[in-house]
Amino acid sequence: MKVFLGIVGAEMRKQYKNYFHSKFVYFSLFLWPMITFVNGYYQFKPFDFSAVSKTIPYLNEKSLLSFVLIGYMAMIFFRTLVQSAWRFSMERTAGTLELVYLSPASRLAIVLGNCLSALVNSVWLFLVFMVGIQLTYSEVLIQSPFWFTMAFIMMIVMSVLWGMLLNGLFIFTRDSSFLFTILEEPMEIFAGVKVPVSIMPLWAQFIAGFFPLTYAIKTLRMFMFEQVNVSEIFRIFGIMTLVCITMFILTLLILHYGEKYNRKTGHLALF
Amino acid sequence: MIKINNVSKIYEMKEGNNPFKRKKIEKLAVSQLNMQIEKGKIVGLLGVNGAGKTTTIKMISTLLEPTSGNITIDGEDVVKNRMEIKKRVNMITGGERMIYWRLTGRENLMYFGKLYGIEKSVLESRINKLVSLVGLEKSIDIPVERYSKGMKQRLQIARGMINDPDYLMLDEPTLGLDAPIAKEIRTYIRSLAEKEGKGVLLTSHYIPEVEELCDYIYVVHEGQLLFEGTSKTLSSQVFDTKKYVFETSALKDEKLKAFYDFAQSLQANIQIDEEDGLQRIVLESRLDCHEALMNYIHKNRFLIHNFRVDEADLESSIIELSRRLA
Repeated sequence: MKVFLGIVGAEMRKQYKNYFHSKFVYFSLFLWPMITFVNGYYQFKPFDFSAVSKTIPYLNEKSLLSFVLIGYMAMIFFRTLVQSAWRFSMERTAGTLELVYLSPASRLAIVLGNCLSALVNSVWLFLVFMVGIQLTYSEVLIQSPFWFTMAFIMMIVMSVLWGMLLNGLFIFTRDSSFLFTILEEPMEIFAGVKVPVSIMPLWAQFIAGFFPLTYAIKTLRMFMFEQVNVSEIFRIFGIMTLVCITMFILTLLILHYGEKYNRKTGHLALF
Repeated sequence: MIKINNVSKIYEMKEGNNPFKRKKIEKLAVSQLNMQIEKGKIVGLLGVNGAGKTTTIKMISTLLEPTSGNITIDGEDVVKNRMEIKKRVNMITGGERMIYWRLTGRENLMYFGKLYGIEKSVLESRINKLVSLVGLEKSIDIPVERYSKGMKQRLQIARGMINDPDYLMLDEPTLGLDAPIAKEIRTYIRSLAEKEGKGVLLTSHYIPEVEELCDYIYVVHEGQLLFEGTSKTLSSQVFDTKKYVFETSALKDEKLKAFYDFAQSLQANIQIDEEDGLQRIVLESRLDCHEALMNYIHKNRFLIHNFRVDEADLESSIIELSRRLA
């Protein structure tokens, strides 16, 4: 375990030194999500919410800011990890990926370290901004603060597992830009970041089910805006746990079979 | 000892311009290869591009799996005990890739050391030792992007030694380096084998480097082993004649005729050029004529101005081998 954690720490430090080497990196990390959020919020602001309120009772002009804020906050967590996985695939070009695989280091520790580094370094600034906005401007109080905190922790776990899964995929897929295209925009559209999944057509809801972000956003909004009964809490956390376990198992399988495939084909050195 | 027993590697590839209709093909990269690398020895692996050298190195380093045959390191199979073997081998390649440019040299070494699960205190003292061995003391705490090519290569060597491996695979370690730095690195490679007892497998296109360093050589072509032995045995196998070259005061009539007869008795060809009253004689034979020729010169009182025996070096042997295979 000590060795495993040592590798996680080493990978985190390396990624930090490699990518967060200038204050301008932080500036762009803050500016870009902020603009995205402001853009999203003001797109909805002029519209009348009375029709939507019939389907989603808590969504109105007062709650719009918090509604969009939660969607974007969760998306930033997940999107950061898509990007970190894509960035990690660049190590194939640099040749360092081969050296990582030359070592006996736990592959799981490597991808975990990479995800945690991205999360810690990329998200905190935006999170501070979100909390500031919520405290200053939002007219909505969190309905179930304890369960909201639990859901927030669960969202972090989910986003890390999502990142590990993508790291595995991006490492072993040479044409990773194809995955990036599939995962970036569709995730924002279908996971309910701006538009609630429940008002989407059935086919879109089906696609939404494949993105763990969908469950994270739904749960956070639920505890933010509604009083939830115990059976519903168990149901939603049960689903999220199941999603986490599935992602973890898939990550282990991808890392195992991906490396095996590369030892056979030699593709790890190709880019 | 590393033992490579009848190892073959076949790559499956897809060929064709149409991405929806690509034909599966197989490429034989290494065929029935047998090799041995002992601790404390430097073994050379030579061959033209695409001969299968890098594939062989990667199979020994566990990055690739042989299609057939087996490789053992100190009796342990590299496929079955992959993770254990990784602790005992390392690989160093030439060029400027395979290192994190934005990290300092020390941060690079710390990172790679951690991947091998080395304790922090052990790692720190090992890094200090390696840094002084490769002469990077003054620049170890600056980002690698500010290093020269030679400094990057020295850092690569330190990186390859970070797990204190028993066996090192060196793939073109002096690629693109200036002569003095390449010489420094060669001296260091020699000391790795002689003083540290590491088994070293070296590939290089710079043949004099192989000649200088390697105790034993394997030559591969299109994945097949063409030759194994020392550089001297390679030369004698490729070039089956020796040339004796000397200059003497011009031989006249009978003395010259007698010398032709003597050459004939040795089954040798001779070529004589005359310039400024001196004759330059080249005697080429498959037989070892050294003693007989010296006796003849002595007995007949030739006035010799200079004398040498031209033996083929490794480079000309490899060129000749490639020419024959082309």
